Amino acid sequence: MIQQKLQEKAKELLAKKEVDLVIGFSDWTLPLRTTPVFIRTPDGAKSLVWNSFCENNLTAYLHKFSRLKVGLVVKGCDARSVVALNLEKRFPNHPPLLIGIPCQRLVDRKKVKKAVKGEILQAVEQGDLLLVKGENFEVSLKRDDFLYASCRSCAHRTPHQAHILIGDPVEEVSLVEAHPDVSELEGMSPEERWTFFKKETGRCIRCYACREACPMCYCAECFVDSSRPKWIEKSLSPQDLAFYHIVRAYHQTGRCSGCGACERACPMDIRLTYLTQKLNQEVKDLYGFETGIRPEAPPPLSTFDPEDEQEFIK
Amino acid sequence: MMFKLDKKDFDHFLKDLLETHDLFAPVQLAEGVSVFKKIDNPGEVSLSQLVPQKSAKEVFFPQSEVMFRYQIAGNQGPTVSEQKIERERILLGARPCDIEAIAIIEKVFVGEDYTDVYFLEKRKKTTIITLSCNHPLTTCFCSSTGGSPFRREGSDLFLIDLGESYLVELLTEKGLIFSKNRFFKEVDPNDLTLVKELEEKAFEKVGYAIPVEGIEKRLDLMTESFFWDRSHEKCIGCGVCTFLCPTCHCFDITDEAVNLKGERVRNWDSCLFPTYSLETSGHNPRPTGRERTRQRLMHKFNYYPKIFGRVACVGCGRCIIYCPVQFDIREAIRYASSKRGEGLEGKFR
Amino acid sequence: MPHPREAKGWKESSDNRPMKNPYLPIPMIVKKARIETSDRMLRTLELIFRHPEDEEKFQFVPGQFCELSVLGKGEAPFGIASSPTEKGSLKFTINKAGTVTSALHCLEEGSEIGIRGPLGNGYPIDLFEGKNLVIIGGGFAFTTLRSLVAYFLHRENRPRIKGITVIYGARMPGLLLYKEELLEWEKRDDLRLVTTVDWGDKDWKGKVGLVPNVLEEVAPSPEETYAVICGPPIMIKFTFPKLMALRFPNERIFTSLEKRMKCGIGKCGRCNIGHLYVCKDGPVFSYAQLAKLPKDY
Repeated sequence: MIQQKLQEKAKELLAKKEVDLVIGFSDWTLPLRTTPVFIRTPDGAKSLVWNSFCENNLTAYLHKFSRLKVGLVVKGCDARSVVALNLEKRFPNHPPLLIGIPCQRLVDRKKVKKAVKGEILQAVEQGDLLLVKGENFEVSLKRDDFLYASCRSCAHRTPHQAHILIGDPVEEVSLVEAHPDVSELEGMSPEERWTFFKKETGRCIRCYACREACPMCYCAECFVDSSRPKWIEKSLSPQDLAFYHIVRAYHQTGRCSGCGACERACPMDIRLTYLTQKLNQEVKDLYGFETGIRPEAPPPLSTFDPEDEQEFIK
Repeated sequence: MMFKLDKKDFDHFLKDLLETHDLFAPVQLAEGVSVFKKIDNPGEVSLSQLVPQKSAKEVFFPQSEVMFRYQIAGNQGPTVSEQKIERERILLGARPCDIEAIAIIEKVFVGEDYTDVYFLEKRKKTTIITLSCNHPLTTCFCSSTGGSPFRREGSDLFLIDLGESYLVELLTEKGLIFSKNRFFKEVDPNDLTLVKELEEKAFEKVGYAIPVEGIEKRLDLMTESFFWDRSHEKCIGCGVCTFLCPTCHCFDITDEAVNLKGERVRNWDSCLFPTYSLETSGHNPRPTGRERTRQRLMHKFNYYPKIFGRVACVGCGRCIIYCPVQFDIREAIRYASSKRGEGLEGKFR
Repeated sequence: MPHPREAKGWKESSDNRPMKNPYLPIPMIVKKARIETSDRMLRTLELIFRHPEDEEKFQFVPGQFCELSVLGKGEAPFGIASSPTEKGSLKFTINKAGTVTSALHCLEEGSEIGIRGPLGNGYPIDLFEGKNLVIIGGGFAFTTLRSLVAYFLHRENRPRIKGITVIYGARMPGLLLYKEELLEWEKRDDLRLVTTVDWGDKDWKGKVGLVPNVLEEVAPSPEETYAVICGPPIMIKFTFPKLMALRFPNERIFTSLEKRMKCGIGKCGRCNIGHLYVCKDGPVFSYAQLAKLPKDY
């Protein structure tokens, strides 16, 4: 059982003082959710869990704990974020120890919520089924029908970059399924795409949950908060909402691992991963680069190569 | 005074109101996402979500609000113009917790010395039609903070869903204006029995989740407690809890201008953002998440009660449902209430 | 702590609006502007009211502040540097630091500016009655202290206070504010003024020494004396223990705090220290009050 092995491993690391802190997931008060947990003692390791509700990208916490030696529980996507951050030299003093877990892909809790009528009181995984119970209902759902969009198109489920791998690696496949939202938009005309984008971002409340949940957003001063020059206003005007999301997506180009933490954090259910995934696809086509796959590959948008194709460079 | 309103007449009832009032009600923007908005036709109203993401405070204290517009022309100095609320308003479909929260905000905005005229004008011109909570969620804890799923205070009309109809209670002068409404029917005694049953069931469901009694005094002793060093760790410092919270009322004021014309605008702000207390010199009195999460919890359960005698929380549970990392305020309060945060290792998350 | 509550600028006016909007700035005109310091970072603006009826309603005490508004840039809070006894205009000294203050530095004489105020609680003038006053200022935090000193130097108010001692220090002679006034005050015999600098220059004839050390030298008696201290955090950090060493009790040491502000009237929430708002319950606090509050400043 992966969960048990994870607990044992974490306990061992803490007991041997190989790490000061293990950051992982734990059960908490709501069904279909886990919560990030910060374990400092070997005894505490027994609260670690691993299931299909471990949806956060814990890499985002590394910036806060950069002074400690951290053991980080990572899925495939999370590990790629760490590689991307290493390229940006974020952890020179204490590179994190990655405790990798081959990911069975995660359950979209919002989708499950929409599939039942009433409040969900309990959700239990049983093989490839998800048993969901409420006050007046009990249903058995096929887990695979309720995966996150970012998980459905994930081709890198095993965190090969991790120092420790708990469990057996998942077989790598080059194309699982194209990102559903990207496919949807590719079939639309530019006007239709703009309507779609405006409808989604029109719900935005500028809470910055997407930004804070993202491990790649670590700027000491985000462009949103800059006052001289002031790039963007703080209001909910359509132009500011569009500007924020477009610029944030562009700042992720070639850096985003597609973990989906942004979309999952959003309280207004705004679809976001399609923006970065489309941009990442273009980076792959133009530069043959995929975030976090090869640790030694230089980031294409911050590297100059005389062989670059673009004419304006020459 | 009590009446009955059949659900089949509800849309017509609203249509009538739309002729004389601006109507604000929950609107579904996407499946599972609702906000309070001004509606143009009854079909937009969606009462299915018990806790819409954005609360009813939006109606009195919009997220983005123009305070005044100005135009600079010649040597006369700028001309400044404000917007006046023209029509009477109705807030329909908020739950008792949201309405209790409006009163909490009102205590700050309508003070002895200064009055937030933008808030007050909207408050005065709005008739509040509240909907009872027949099926509270497990995340609701309104009764712990002094409220209840059937709390009528602050409402002008109170609607109770009886299935095929609503029971309508007219509670205030503003409510009594509706007593001649052409869709209101007589109540029959069975309805009242049903109401009683629904009320009891709802109370039972909410229960009494957290010990808020005496929390102010306990937090007094905890200003420098180690509790804050641990409890803030998982908070990522976004604004979800503060923006969705019906009692949070902090705002930022900025000028948006193009050449000689512009607006002074206020937008919601969150004490959890690092720039909230950042001074121009670069000094930040709340430099880390520790100080900021402490500020949020202390403000709600210690500072506000010191001034106004009650906690600034209505137990709506939005912060619990929508927090990206599942920070559960109930657990924080329970923990702070019990052991004053000692022996935190591995136990509090 | 009792405060003169009658000194408020905002009362219900005869506007056709039921309640006056406290967020609307009242128009002022820049009468005079001058650079105060050799590094050109401090500029004093002298403002006059555009409408005489606004001037009549504007009653303030030393220590209060105003939100200066530059349309298109924003607002920022500034302590009133002029005294209520100096009628006809209001003086503010602005440190160039960000968007609004840079705009204030660019305002030409004759241009229009907005003001909201007076805001805050001001110094507890009535507590000072019949007592001695020790005023310690550092750098450009001296603005409201100038207001306080000028208030008590006025012939009507001087008899209300016994001894006045002022210790004012800056890093260099060029960075002292209100240099002409300091020279005039030095000549007076109804107050003791000690100016000091951290580093002197060839023209400086006065004291050279850090403010906390000068305080130790001057050693004012705490008997029947109130102390008011305003300065950068580093100065306060080292000066405050000297006051303690001189046996000044917490209840008789006052300071004026600064925090990021927006509304200035206790609504927007951001300037709170514990349950008190710096804009409304402050900015003047006694150290006895501050001892009971979290260190949120």
